[in-house]
Amino acid sequence: MIPFQVQLEMALASFTQVAAFMQRSWAWPVVESVHFIGLTLLLGSIAAWDLRLLGVARQVPIAAFHRLIPFAVLGFGINAASGSLFLMTFPDQYIYNPAFHLKMLCVILAGANVMVFYFTVFRRLGSLGPGAQGPMLARLNGAVSLALWVTVIICGRMITFYRPNGCRPGEAAGFLAECIVR
Amino acid sequence: MFDPLFTWLESTAFSLWIVESPSLFAFPGILAAHTVGLGLLAGLNGALDLRLLGFARSIPPAAFVRFLPVMWFGLSLNVLTGIALLLAYPTKALTNPVFYLKLALIAAALVILRNLLRHTRAALPVSRTTKILAATSLMIWAAAITAGRLLAYTCTRLTVEVTCS
Repeated sequence: MIPFQVQLEMALASFTQVAAFMQRSWAWPVVESVHFIGLTLLLGSIAAWDLRLLGVARQVPIAAFHRLIPFAVLGFGINAASGSLFLMTFPDQYIYNPAFHLKMLCVILAGANVMVFYFTVFRRLGSLGPGAQGPMLARLNGAVSLALWVTVIICGRMITFYRPNGCRPGEAAGFLAECIVR
Repeated sequence: MFDPLFTWLESTAFSLWIVESPSLFAFPGILAAHTVGLGLLAGLNGALDLRLLGFARSIPPAAFVRFLPVMWFGLSLNVLTGIALLLAYPTKALTNPVFYLKLALIAAALVILRNLLRHTRAALPVSRTTKILAATSLMIWAAAITAGRLLAYTCTRLTVEVTCS
């Protein structure tokens, strides 16, 4: 039986045309920039939402801030798509990378946190007028969401330093050439 | 011309610690914090821009003033981590035109933000000019982020002694 990680690696490596496209000189930096713009859109809109759940700007009804959620979803979509391109290009660099594992775990937990929100507090929000303190569960949901997305960003940045072929800081020469300047 | 300055900066204990320490709190941690600060500052600025452009109309624009402390936190974090990264690789940053482009774009974005906040605080109706400024803000932040990302791929001199190939 072939281990799951190897299967996944083989499946992702089959997108050879994507890999060829991504290895053009400009493609990787451009897709990375798109990934960072997506990150900003996602974190900005979800942070505004989470902060409102935590009680910031409470004179505005929570329902009003719900209008920002489509932008968070858009940011997530941009990043799921651009992130997939990285994975299809160098699958082994992510599949065997503990920073990537933790990042994906946090993305899944953040998704579960969203589900918890919609199945519990969401229906009660309509009855909360301006100035109302959200229920404890809503505040907890906002705090968990903010913490998870910040962790996702940190783990994303750590991927470079946990690549299986090594990019450990402190290994001066190789680190500079391979990890700071491509 | 600035080589003696670069040589000195690159020999300081702080610079050497960031570059050479195997600790995750050195170079990797500073880089990660810089990205979190970016997300908070540019992200919340982007949310304000989108509101001024007419999305999520049920939020009064003045509500975004409440997020200012978080945006200030993001900006402070990025000034501090930015200075740390500059001290780590001073020659690389200061001999790279893209670095100056990035700083200019951030300065422009912050000037626009100040202007937008003045309008927002005064609770003025969203004028055509404000909308144009909000759209410009979104584009400038996107450009600043792209310039920042390109810093990893553009390099004339890595350190005083090492020229990029």
